[in-house]
Amino acid sequence: MSCARVRALAATTVLAAVLAACGSRQAPAPAGAASPGAAGSSPAARKRLKVALIAKSSTNPVFLSARVGAEAAAREAAKRTGVEVEVAWLTPPQEDGQVQAQRIAQAVNEGADAVVISCSDAGKVTGAIDDAVARGLAVMTFDSDAPQSKRFAFYGVDDVKTGHAVMSELAAQMGGKGKVAVLCGNQNAPNLQKRVQGVKEEAGSRPGISIVGVFPHIETPQDAAAEVIRVNNAYPEIQGWAMVGGWPLFTRTLLDEIDPRRMKIVAVDALPVELPYIEKGLAPVLLAQPTYLWGEVSVNTVVDKIVLGKQVPERIPMELVRVSKDNLGDWARQLKGWGFTDVPDRYLHMGERAK
Amino acid sequence: MRPIVRRILTSPPAGLAMVILLLGGILTLFAGAHVDRRTGLEVNNFLNSNTLVQTATDASFFAVMAVGATFVIISGGIDLSVGSVYALAGVAMALALRALGPMSSGGTVGAGLAVSLGVGLVCGLLNGTMVVGLPVHPFVITLGTMWILRGLAFVISRAESILVPPALTGVAKASLGLTGSLYPVPMLVMLAAAVLGALYLERTVMGRHIFALGGNAEASRFAGLRLGRIQMGVYLVSGLTAGLAAFLGASFYGSASCGDAAGYELYVIASAVVGGASLTGGKGSAVSAMLGALLIVLIRQSIRTLRLDQNYEWIVIGCAIIIAVVLDQGSARVAARRLEAAPAGGTR
Repeated sequence: MSCARVRALAATTVLAAVLAACGSRQAPAPAGAASPGAAGSSPAARKRLKVALIAKSSTNPVFLSARVGAEAAAREAAKRTGVEVEVAWLTPPQEDGQVQAQRIAQAVNEGADAVVISCSDAGKVTGAIDDAVARGLAVMTFDSDAPQSKRFAFYGVDDVKTGHAVMSELAAQMGGKGKVAVLCGNQNAPNLQKRVQGVKEEAGSRPGISIVGVFPHIETPQDAAAEVIRVNNAYPEIQGWAMVGGWPLFTRTLLDEIDPRRMKIVAVDALPVELPYIEKGLAPVLLAQPTYLWGEVSVNTVVDKIVLGKQVPERIPMELVRVSKDNLGDWARQLKGWGFTDVPDRYLHMGERAK
Repeated sequence: MRPIVRRILTSPPAGLAMVILLLGGILTLFAGAHVDRRTGLEVNNFLNSNTLVQTATDASFFAVMAVGATFVIISGGIDLSVGSVYALAGVAMALALRALGPMSSGGTVGAGLAVSLGVGLVCGLLNGTMVVGLPVHPFVITLGTMWILRGLAFVISRAESILVPPALTGVAKASLGLTGSLYPVPMLVMLAAAVLGALYLERTVMGRHIFALGGNAEASRFAGLRLGRIQMGVYLVSGLTAGLAAFLGASFYGSASCGDAAGYELYVIASAVVGGASLTGGKGSAVSAMLGALLIVLIRQSIRTLRLDQNYEWIVIGCAIIIAVVLDQGSARVAARRLEAAPAGGTR
């Protein structure tokens, strides 16, 4: 048989299989299963809820903890409501607003009932969110909002306030005076831009504090740590770092590179890998976002809205947790309880005897 | 079998199309189903109009760039700057439209298209001029411009994500009479770019000159071809397609930022190579590059549709690229042996 005939036969076979499969699945849905994701559908009719979770990047550990929280909340919600809740993890490997928009469309096409997303670029995903809502999905944002979109709720910290808190804590650690650098991560992320705004406003209100620069970087721990080292070499006068995310502290690099007596760091986030920075005094205070709750609260909010038909507020504020040597043990145990497996044992026993 | 059908089935893009169909078939069989909330019917998770158009849309932005990149690769060059040209063209378009203020829909679309294509052409001209004028490999030139153009996009946008006027989104998301949230414009632009690219490469003298340059530069020089002009032309086409993709992408997603299309140059080159383009020059096809882009997107899609661990995405894509190229070279060797074995005046 000639090559052309083999190809023709193969093409016909594949097409036939595809069409057959397509036809066989076009069966009427069971009663009550129609329009499952639409807000206001009958809670009693629902058997299953599929929530697409789209964080910024699957290489960032804070979003992995959000996933753990979402999956735990899904299990709890299933027990509580009798509805099977599935969390589909559709987070891109790297930050890319365009890919996030594509993942939203994919979630819609594959029958998700809700999308929960932390937006890398609000401008890029707003259209996709609105399309999803138009097709009957409930969309909620966490961590980084798309305020112009038709999402029904946002859960996260007040970013400007967070920036103020970071700078305020840093100024206190530095005795109210000195030169400060700001580490800002991805410059396109609206939530990080607002935190930087807060840092600048707070620094502006303190005459003894001056900012030498705001430094963006690729949001990987290694890139972030390398950027801090480069900036420290270029600006030896820096005495403090205001970090609007904890990226460089996800490595141990800065523990060896920076003398805690010469420089202080205050950063957002306090994951297990960052705890030695508190212990050694290089980062005396970390402002933790309970990132596990991003997933847990978001899934619970979606369940409340779709399954239980409850009214939910449009903005659900997340409170930062101030982590220092004083509550290091409590925080470590909290992280362990949230499913983090890499919490060093020595922190787990810290402060237990006093209690 | 009729000669034209036989010719289509034995052409290089047919093999790739077959692989795409096969993968599509596997996805259809194993994707599962969900209940469509509009019709109340159970539909396949992969084989539904929305997913198919969405897959083509996802591929279209770098498939359009891959058509231009194929011109460069056929000529024996390489263009690593396409992702940065995309970002700069998109940002420049968004800033220009913001500066121009409200206009009619037609005026907005015309101005946006003119700026993005213009920026793409200027970037192509810059690359082409340096490749022709400097004794440096195109890899190094375009590696440099990749950073320069990305940096320019960063500086002029101040890292802001700039919204584009709704008129542009209206064009890129025009339903063209289709219902059910289907947006076929990027897919149609991709098809048009591939067809035009194929016609230019295979049906015009200038197109054949590009193959000649990539196949044997010395022989082309002795044959009297103006190699500098051909090289300049291919980088212009590459810049132009990156500008077109930027217009399409920024319009479709509604904003442009300096971080757009970061790393896409590798997807673009991979699309061309999976489509059979030879990095040593002299071989390639615009239609195959488009199919290469579709295949890569389909592989990405399949990881999620089949609910495989998506942490394996890059590994799978890397393996697929190597396998595709090895298979392609293997089939080329078999075809060459057949040609050698065939009697004179026999099968082509």
